[in-house]
Amino acid sequence: MSPSRFRGVDFLHESMIAVVRHPGRSLLTAVGTVLSAAAFVCTLGLSSTLDHQVSSSFDVRRATEVLVRPEQASLDPAWQDGTALARLTGLHGVVAAGARLSLDGDRTVQRSSRAGDTEIRTRIIGADSGALRVMSPSLTAGRYFDGFIPGQAERVVMLPRSLARELGITRTQVAVFIGAESYTVIGIYDDVARRPEALQAILMPLLSAEELRQPGGEDTRDVVIETQPGAAQLIGGQAALAMLPTEPQALRAVAPPDPRLLRQEIEGNVARSSLLISVIALVIGAVSIANATTAGIAARTQEIGLRRAVGARRRHVFVQLLGETTTLGLLGGVLGAFLGVCLTLGISLANRWVPVIDLRTALLASGICAGAGLLAGFVPAIRALRIQPVAALQR
Amino acid sequence: MLELRAATKTYDDGHPVHALRETSLTVEEGDYVAITGASGSGKSTLLNLLGLLDVPTTGSYRVLGLPAHELAESHRGAVRGQVFGFIFQNFHLLNGRSALENVELGMLYGPYNRRERRRRAWETVERLGLAHRALADPRRMSGGERQRVAVARAVAGRPRVLFCDEPTGNLDSANTATVLDTLRGLNEEGLTVVVVTHDPGVAAEGRRRIEVSDGTVTEVEVPA
Repeated sequence: MSPSRFRGVDFLHESMIAVVRHPGRSLLTAVGTVLSAAAFVCTLGLSSTLDHQVSSSFDVRRATEVLVRPEQASLDPAWQDGTALARLTGLHGVVAAGARLSLDGDRTVQRSSRAGDTEIRTRIIGADSGALRVMSPSLTAGRYFDGFIPGQAERVVMLPRSLARELGITRTQVAVFIGAESYTVIGIYDDVARRPEALQAILMPLLSAEELRQPGGEDTRDVVIETQPGAAQLIGGQAALAMLPTEPQALRAVAPPDPRLLRQEIEGNVARSSLLISVIALVIGAVSIANATTAGIAARTQEIGLRRAVGARRRHVFVQLLGETTTLGLLGGVLGAFLGVCLTLGISLANRWVPVIDLRTALLASGICAGAGLLAGFVPAIRALRIQPVAALQR
Repeated sequence: MLELRAATKTYDDGHPVHALRETSLTVEEGDYVAITGASGSGKSTLLNLLGLLDVPTTGSYRVLGLPAHELAESHRGAVRGQVFGFIFQNFHLLNGRSALENVELGMLYGPYNRRERRRRAWETVERLGLAHRALADPRRMSGGERQRVAVARAVAGRPRVLFCDEPTGNLDSANTATVLDTLRGLNEEGLTVVVVTHDPGVAAEGRRRIEVSDGTVTEVEVPA
């Protein structure tokens, strides 16, 4: 007489049959792993999709912009004078640079000096020709105000189209009144390449803006710089020293974050949070398999007793239960990974993103779920060891 | 073939219960033994000992000359799987598996590979007149069909002894007759049959009659 045996092929067949012939029971048992695998694949898929989205839509122009501001508003305005700007534009990587003055508070702007005529309140930004070039307003009518006689305060303005419309202005070479003074509208624009605050302000030559300063007003001065692509970080580090060599710490240069760093940061954050979500889901999945299978042991006492009665050894019952929970985990993982991929595709399509899914995450999710199923199987399998063959006879 | 010597079974749950007092019993090859007795008399305990589902507290038990009471549980399992067959009052068929697959399950842990198990299962199912139901789920079968599937499961591996625990307890009289016919036929082919029952009609099938009462076993002479 040969000892009882449980061949590998029989083990696989029994594990599979126990799972697929009771689909309802299996689905309820494995629902935790389905959800965890779906969460794992979907969060990683969405994060890589979003990452792709961020890097492809990353504003190239914004990445070539540096802003320099004094730490204290009271700093001598000489920091942004012509010589300082000349030193700045001498730096390798600077395309253009210019000084700006944003006047404190909103000013009243009217179409005419008559009382009761349409009036709006808006900010006023003075810009020299360099700053204007950096901001690059997109003209819909008229022209820029550069090319005037240096040192002379021309009474001209450029209006964003939204303000022009509010004022009822559709063409250039008309007058607007700021306070009591009249200015000629020489250009209307609908967008700017840099510094979007210019879309909600009137632009005028720097010297003209200087004349409109009011005593005690907290006007802000800054210097805007356009750099060559990729040089923003470098220029950001050099600008303060170039402009104010005696006191560089009085100036602060703000460069946009390095897109590569930003991307790594996003990847890191998303990967960490999705990993956390998935681990939590996975633990829940494993616990739910262990719990449901252990609860199911009571209902299967007679089956296990029968197997023992027809010759199964304890270890055969033990490995069979491990095989069943591993199969459940694996199938749950595969189903969940499939759902996760579908979910990622659905969300991406709904948002018109290009879905970027690493299918290795689906394989990984399935593998991890199978491992969780294996671990979860130890609880019911150890409990099943106590079942005696006599149990099969009990009525 | 089966030789129980001075065996007792005592369950000790705080205070001892003598389920089976000192018993000696020999079952010969080809016997048809009916074990009767009231509920709680100890007849199930006797069946568990004979079927190696349990071990005697004292005494010895030999199966085919092997000292079964000294064997490790794994070896007793092998004896159960290959020398014995079991059928139960509640059939204990697995749902979600066809009749044929249930029959194969009885040989799962034995020496035959899958193909051989399937061949033997088919052969047995045909012999017991169940071929037309071979692929049916037990849940769609009558009680008599289910018990005959259970018999097929028990005998497909060609055991030497068939143990039956109240085999007709859940069957009507027509199905009882079919199952008894099957058992008689198997016995006539040389299979040793041990039946536990409290149905006198079933007990009358046995050529030997054992009565258990209060843990004491008595052999009753059967008129020829």
